[in-house]
Amino acid sequence: MRARMLESGGFWRALFSVLAGLLLAALLMKASGYDVGAALSALWSGATGIAPGPSRGPNQIPIGIGAWKAHLDKFVLAQSLARATPLIWAGLSVALALRGGLFNIGAQGQLIVGALAAAVVGMLGKGSEAGGDVTGGWPPWLHVPLTLLTGAAAGAVWGAIPGWLKARRGVHEVLSTILLNYIAADIASYLVTHGLKDPNSHSMAPQTGLMAASAWLTPAVPGSNLTVGLLLAVTAAALVAFLLQRTALGYEIRAVGLGQAAAEATGIPAVRTLVVTMGLAGALAGLAGAVEVMGVHHRYVPGVAATYGFDGIAVALLGGLTGSGTVASGLFFGLLASGASGMQRSTDVPDAITVIVQAVVILVIGVRYLRKRALPPLVAAVLDTDERREEDADRI
Amino acid sequence: MPTGSSGADTSWLVALLWATLYFATPLVLAAMGGVFSERSGVVNIALEGLMLAGAFVGVWAGQSSGVLGLLAALGVGALLGLLHAFLTQQLHMNHVVSGLGINLLAAGGTRYLNQILFPKGEHIEGLPANFFLFLALLLPLVTLWILHRTRFGLRLRAVGENPESARMAGISPGPIRYLAVMLSGVLAALGGAYLSMGEAHNFSRDMSANKGYIALAAVIFGKWNPLGAAGGALFFGFFFALQTQLQISGIQARWLGVDWSSPFLLDMLPYLMTLVALITVVGRATPPAALGQEEE
Repeated sequence: MRARMLESGGFWRALFSVLAGLLLAALLMKASGYDVGAALSALWSGATGIAPGPSRGPNQIPIGIGAWKAHLDKFVLAQSLARATPLIWAGLSVALALRGGLFNIGAQGQLIVGALAAAVVGMLGKGSEAGGDVTGGWPPWLHVPLTLLTGAAAGAVWGAIPGWLKARRGVHEVLSTILLNYIAADIASYLVTHGLKDPNSHSMAPQTGLMAASAWLTPAVPGSNLTVGLLLAVTAAALVAFLLQRTALGYEIRAVGLGQAAAEATGIPAVRTLVVTMGLAGALAGLAGAVEVMGVHHRYVPGVAATYGFDGIAVALLGGLTGSGTVASGLFFGLLASGASGMQRSTDVPDAITVIVQAVVILVIGVRYLRKRALPPLVAAVLDTDERREEDADRI
Repeated sequence: MPTGSSGADTSWLVALLWATLYFATPLVLAAMGGVFSERSGVVNIALEGLMLAGAFVGVWAGQSSGVLGLLAALGVGALLGLLHAFLTQQLHMNHVVSGLGINLLAAGGTRYLNQILFPKGEHIEGLPANFFLFLALLLPLVTLWILHRTRFGLRLRAVGENPESARMAGISPGPIRYLAVMLSGVLAALGGAYLSMGEAHNFSRDMSANKGYIALAAVIFGKWNPLGAAGGALFFGFFFALQTQLQISGIQARWLGVDWSSPFLLDMLPYLMTLVALITVVGRATPPAALGQEEE
């Protein structure tokens, strides 16, 4: 019965895994003696901004019906959506690589490299300040795209390295990307304590100087971290889906993902494809970093990557390695993380509970049932619907 | 850690050698776990989570008695190993996906429980570091003996190289792999228990710090051979030790405008050397033929 339900489509399977994760989290809270009702209510209002009670302040919109008073806090919702933004980028990075047969555990490092490179370009073009007026600075229409592109390029280079190592030297990408994460973080920390150290800071703070305002992304809700970066991530998801399904390169990426030897036999250059796949995945992670520094920190700070790169793995798997699925699951995990922070503040439940939810989601969604065909080994492990399997089988 | 008491010139070297042994200890123990699992055909990137879980449970259950804590740690390693075997063998989950899931489960579970149970940290007596060091020196030989001189080892290698032939010869791959992966969990948890019980005498969040992945790199570096894997673990342990000793020594090294003695660049050393080792060695290494293949 349960097996049938899981087989019957990606959406239901994803929903089941999420409910299983949340249920286990609730049971764990109960077992640790927390008030589960209060915790879940705090989780919900921290995630969505919707809470009971009359609205107060300009950010709260009343949404109650009749006697039931409730409000939507725009700021809280904006912060949740902002939290989802890097997760969607990182999820896309992992999903694209996995469609090409590669586990990109290195989104974390690629994000760091992208963030640092974007911060460096963002610091350029400040112009000269005289009497409060900035003259000679770069215009935002030039500076913003340039900063984004730099972040993408830096992430792409860092991502292409494990692709090349896999293709040429047979180094498993799980190991090389994890090692490169450390190396990226250490090099970035070195640079922001030496050559790129904030010149205006007399403190020991390891960070770069402030970026020019022309390279900032403006918040959608004043004071929040939500920027156009979310829209860019959604657009990128559509582009990734288009790339994979409708272009020759996407076909090659998926073909190599199905089997390197078979792809080579049909004339697809596997080495080049592996490097390109990881380069693109790295670019997406690098954009996550660029958007974070441009929209949130306005400079490179060592904690900029948080655990987004690793979280991207669960995002991609829950999203079924598709563009739209990744957006949906990125939003879910973003809201969950944001809600969990609120929950920890108001009820003391450790926000590490979200990591447990991630684990359960991965373990439930990764389960494969007995349908055996000529399945792509890696993709089949995570791809969900039978329809999609047919579809892929037709295309390849 | 003991420091050398001989002349001033050699004391630094002696300290480095001892530090190498202690840094290599958890890597050797987890790497032996990796050898058992991977030689049976099951990719085990769950080593990381298994170590972390072992480290936590060792402290949690070892507050009154170190031996009890150790046994509980090994038990939880076996249980999580059982989970990895069940997911990969019974439910045909991709080995890497299962491993990532278990690693997240261990990371989330230990963070959650650590915050609730030990909000102010918990100091424990633990077990002598040399006990673990002794095991790390002994176990590669034991592993070699098991793999090459026992019926279980022969079957394990047969299952890892060619499960079909093994099945034809009347060996069922399932039970062998379950045993191998559970044993892998026990050994990785032993390595994790060293970190918390033998070295730090408490648990700190994410204290395995990717040592499970480094242990797996040591397995590959050692071409899936117990002595080779132990050698790989010593190699990586040496660079962890060197990095620490260089930081303690406060040595200054500037060259080409780069401050090579910066703690950040020194911190990078073991990871960089692991990567270099993988690049130079892996091309020539042949994994067990059926490694990572899913059962049909």
